[in-house]
Amino acid sequence: MSGISRRELLERGAAGGLVLSGLGGLAGCGIGRGLQGDTDRVIEPKVDGDLYYFNYSQYINPALVRAFEEKYDVRVIQSYFDSMEGMIAKLRAGNSYDVMFPTAEYVQRLVQEEQLLRIPRDKLENIDNIYSYFDDPWYDPDSAHSVPYSLYITGIGYRADILDNMTGSWNDLANPEADGRIFVLDDYQEALAAGNLRNGYDMNTVVESELAATQDWLVGLKPLLRGFSVDTITNMASGNAWIQHLWNGDIVNIRYRVDDPDAYQFQKITQDGFPVGSDTFVIPVNAEHPGTAMLFIDFMLDPKNAARNVTWNGYPMPNRGQDETFEELAKGDPNIVVTVDDLEGGEQFANLPQEERELWTNTFLEVKAS
Amino acid sequence: MSENRFAHAMLAPAGVWLLLLFAVPLGILLAVSLGETDPAYQAVYGFHPENFRDVFDPLFAPVLLRSVGYALATVVLCLLIGYPIAYYIARFGGRWKTLLIALVVLPFLVNYLVRTYAWVAILSDEGLINGILTDTGISENGVQFVNTSWAVIGGLVYGYLAFMILPLYAALDRMDPALIEAGKDLYGTRWQTFRHVTWPTAFQGVAAGCVLVFLPAVGDFISAQLLGGPDTYMVGNLIQQQFLEAQNWPFGAALTIVMMAFLLIWMLLYVRSAAGAAREADA
Repeated sequence: MSGISRRELLERGAAGGLVLSGLGGLAGCGIGRGLQGDTDRVIEPKVDGDLYYFNYSQYINPALVRAFEEKYDVRVIQSYFDSMEGMIAKLRAGNSYDVMFPTAEYVQRLVQEEQLLRIPRDKLENIDNIYSYFDDPWYDPDSAHSVPYSLYITGIGYRADILDNMTGSWNDLANPEADGRIFVLDDYQEALAAGNLRNGYDMNTVVESELAATQDWLVGLKPLLRGFSVDTITNMASGNAWIQHLWNGDIVNIRYRVDDPDAYQFQKITQDGFPVGSDTFVIPVNAEHPGTAMLFIDFMLDPKNAARNVTWNGYPMPNRGQDETFEELAKGDPNIVVTVDDLEGGEQFANLPQEERELWTNTFLEVKAS
Repeated sequence: MSENRFAHAMLAPAGVWLLLLFAVPLGILLAVSLGETDPAYQAVYGFHPENFRDVFDPLFAPVLLRSVGYALATVVLCLLIGYPIAYYIARFGGRWKTLLIALVVLPFLVNYLVRTYAWVAILSDEGLINGILTDTGISENGVQFVNTSWAVIGGLVYGYLAFMILPLYAALDRMDPALIEAGKDLYGTRWQTFRHVTWPTAFQGVAAGCVLVFLPAVGDFISAQLLGGPDTYMVGNLIQQQFLEAQNWPFGAALTIVMMAFLLIWMLLYVRSAAGAAREADA
């Protein structure tokens, strides 16, 4: 794309006040184009500077970040996003990060857009611990640009001390006994997925009549809802939520925060099906310190570190080094375990083309704005 | 250099500042608002005035009306709460005036987001206030404070109250107390004195406070996001949703421009009223 970068535009605008007068001339130019760089750049796992890290907040054990800083005598400069879209917006704005954590479908998209460096897997000492499912995953052939970080399923967290009528269906989001204490995830993909699965449609459906039915179901839920929110841990730990649409690892974190952990249970939606996904480590094409990023990824794959990480954040890693630890963690609640069978049999979010994606975001917007 | 030219030169830093950080970004915003998104969800420049037509889609009417309603309620509550506080500090603050004003400003040293989160913790169903209510037996099951419209308005009032108190205080503090004594000497009751003397004299402070609270409140998204429920979606949330979740920067920009135009009307009304008052004072 023969675009004008934002900086250039700014300079010109400042110099000549062109911005308003020159609108016509700008037609067709990109605003914040993608990152430029050589995706085949050779990376060596050695310290080449401080690590610029970009992740969801509270998604990695901070003690491990400190341990990494000490081991390699580097600083880890952390920034956070709260959604994949937010992550993309920051990247588009030209920020440079060394390691970040997109979901599988976003890896697919970033690979297609040539935004990721190739990761030389043979230079990662601990790569053999990774489950073989990820040798050639659907989103990144041969795992050339990504290393899997964690596995998750979406389900429903509920108060077992109060509710005794959960059914294992997404209909539980309309449980009348929790009237006014139910939260649906404020996430267009998750909210529509729950409705689509509940209605027996393909989770990624783009059939308008089906999405309309899902929209009706969600709108019908609203009188029972307390809100749409991704602040799942606070909602449940504060007692505001008796039923919370959430991800499996959240329940582990909620239990760390409350006096009576057994009262907080995770329900796998076995009746209708559930979304399953994986997050990854990737190195953006404009990373300035990819060597340190390689060391960081390898450090996190180390079995001992992986075990420490899953205990802290509650999400299993597809890494044999943490298997025993996670089993121990999930003893009271086997529902939070995610297996390769879940990945193969479960529903994964697809990368929808722009128009279809707009259909999804607009459907959810209409639910919330109505 | 003549004094006049020197005075003009003094404006240069502010002028450059405004041009670079206000005029240019505003121009870019306007340019983006006429653009479209390409298949890779990238915003590209173009000429698509229909983005502005979409803003007036009936779907968004409740969102826009709700935002204005919440902001007006916030203004009224801030005025009711802020006026007595400002009046007290200005008239009876004495040597404590500076300290009292500092106390009004103090919460602003903490980030608005963090302060709003604190309310979530304090007001939640098993939070501090509900703990007291249920322990003392005042309420058996507690009260649902958060995730309601009132919680959103409460968050806005708390967030912007100081914007009301400060201009009110400035106006009331400037007022000559002898005017009030004169009102009483002329057999005015307390209410008559307030209505005919204090209120009109300090009215510019009221107007400034109302505008300063209304403008940020109508575009706020944090309060609705953290304290709101399923039916408290505001235009600020909508704009944020367009820029992030929907990745439709052009429509988000169009929404922003329309909202700015709407707010500008209020701003101009205020400027006119202030200019009128200044002329009266000169005359």
